[in-house]
Amino acid sequence: MELDSLKYVWRSLEAQPAPEKSPEEIHALLQKRSGGIVTRMRRNLIGELILIAATYTPAILFYFLDFEGKLSAIAWLFILLLVILAVYFYRKNQLLKAMQCTGCSLYSNLRRQITTLKKYIRFYVWSGTLMIPVMFILSWLIIRSRFPAAPGADLFYQLSDTPWWQHPLVWAVFLIPFTVGLYFVNLWYVHRLYGQHIRKLQDLLLEMEEE
Amino acid sequence: MLYKVCRLYCFTEADRQDLFQEIVIQLWKSYPGFRGDSKFSTWLYRIALNTAISDLRKQRRRPSTTTDEIPPSLPDMTWPGEEEQQLQQLYAAIARLSDVEKALVMLYLEDKSYEEMEEIMGLNQNNLRVKMNRIREKLRKMTKETTYGIR
Repeated sequence: MELDSLKYVWRSLEAQPAPEKSPEEIHALLQKRSGGIVTRMRRNLIGELILIAATYTPAILFYFLDFEGKLSAIAWLFILLLVILAVYFYRKNQLLKAMQCTGCSLYSNLRRQITTLKKYIRFYVWSGTLMIPVMFILSWLIIRSRFPAAPGADLFYQLSDTPWWQHPLVWAVFLIPFTVGLYFVNLWYVHRLYGQHIRKLQDLLLEMEEE
Repeated sequence: MLYKVCRLYCFTEADRQDLFQEIVIQLWKSYPGFRGDSKFSTWLYRIALNTAISDLRKQRRRPSTTTDEIPPSLPDMTWPGEEEQQLQQLYAAIARLSDVEKALVMLYLEDKSYEEMEEIMGLNQNNLRVKMNRIREKLRKMTKETTYGIR
C-alpha cells in the first residue's frame, strides 16, 4: 500500500456529501455537556464544592442559632474549615484551567497536560493527606480555647488526667500513623483515578520525542 | 475534515458522534482565543487532533485489528466500488497505527506541507520526515503481510 497513491482516494472523501447539520442541530450540539476529561474533572470539582457548601451551611446555621449562640465558636470553626476547603478547590480549579490548550500544537499541549496533571496529583495527594490532621489540630485549638471549663465533656478532654501540654504529644501518636496511612490511601486513589490517563499521555509524548 | 478525524480515531458510530460533538464544543470554546497567529486551518487541525488524541474518553469497543481484517491490495484494474474498497483498506491499515501516526498520516493525505505539519504537531521537520518514512514502511509491510501472508 503506497501512501502517495492513496491520496486521491482520500480526497474522494471530500467529494462525498458529509451529513450536513442544520444551525439548530449545531446549537443543540453546543448545549450538550462536554465529555472531555478535563471538563469532567472541573465539573466534578464544582459538584464537590456544592456538596460541601450544602453540608456545612446547615451546621453553621445550627451552631449560630441554637444553644443561644453559646456554641458559635463551633460555627466559626466550620467557617474556617470551609475557607480552607475553598482555597483547596480554587487551587485545583486553577490547575485544571491551565491543563489544556487545545489551540496549541499537539506536542506542547501534551507536555502542558502532563506537567499540570502531575502538579494536580501532587497537590491532591498532599492536601488530601494534610487537611485532616490540620483540621483536627485547628478544631482542638479552637475548642480548647473557647471551652476551657468543660473537661471530660467531649473527645478533646478525655485525657484530663494528663497535663494539658502533653495532649499534643498524645494526639501526635494517633495522628502521625493516621496521616502516613492517609498519604498512601490518597496515593493509591489518585493513581487509580488518573494513572492510566497520565501513562497514556506520557507514552504519546515519548513517541513524539522519539527520532 | 472533522468527520475524517472522527472516522480515523473512533471505531463505532456512537464514539464518532461523541468525538464530533466534543470537537465542536472545543472549537466553540477556543474560538475567542484564536488570534490569527496561524492559519485558520492549522488552528482547526490542532483543536480536532488535540481533542481526539489527548482528551478522548474511553472508547466503547475497539474491534481487534488482526491482519486478516485488512483487505488485500487491489490489482490495477477498475470496477464499480473500487474506490470504496481502497478506502476501506486504507482505514483498516490506519486503524493499526498509533494515535500520533494516525495524525501524521491524515495530515500527509490532506497534502499538508511539512511546515504546516510542524505547526500543527509541534515537531521539527526532520523528526516528521523520519516518522513519515517509518509509517510508509509500516503500511507497506502491513499490505505485504496481508497479501502474501508474510510476517
